Amino acid sequence: MNKTKKTSGNKVLLFAILWGLTYGISLFVLKKLSPDTATGVILSFLPVLTFGLFIYHIIKGVASMDEVQIRIQMEAAVIAFSLGLLLLMTLGLLDLVVSLNREDWGYRHLVPYFTIFYFIGLFISKRKYS
Amino acid sequence: MKNTIKVERAKKNWTQEDLADKIGVSRQSVNSIETGKFIPSTVLALKMAKVFGTTVELIFQLEKTD
Repeated sequence: MNKTKKTSGNKVLLFAILWGLTYGISLFVLKKLSPDTATGVILSFLPVLTFGLFIYHIIKGVASMDEVQIRIQMEAAVIAFSLGLLLLMTLGLLDLVVSLNREDWGYRHLVPYFTIFYFIGLFISKRKYS
Repeated sequence: MKNTIKVERAKKNWTQEDLADKIGVSRQSVNSIETGKFIPSTVLALKMAKVFGTTVELIFQLEKTD
């Protein structure tokens, strides 16, 4: 059972790295090399494939967890979703009164926040059940 | 809800890890259940009762606040 979990965890990590790499490469090429529109659109959708694989392995990994671990993951996701929604709502309202700099608060800048929110949720949830 | 998992483990001289292996969960999960932080599903409660050779009612009891 532990060996299966370790393999599953390794796959999740592998696909997380793969997603991070494709996202990073796409971001770099789009920002620095200014490709034509068609190439740009293809590059924008490239991380979708690796992200899909990453999420698929996360779901498979969660399915092999026991019920306490599933609860921890579920609560972490709920906390991350709530914090993400809160961030979007606040930015949306702020955007009506002050002009937010798109170079600081564009869509792509929100990606790391959602990742951080998941880990905040995981930290809170793990403490609750340990 | 209170439980007698610690007592049952002591009777068998099992560690949390031993119990976790027998019912197919992690040691952390056994700890969460034993300390009352997590209420297990019926299936898991039945598995525990089976490995302890007792009944679910003897392991888990409702408290007045439940």
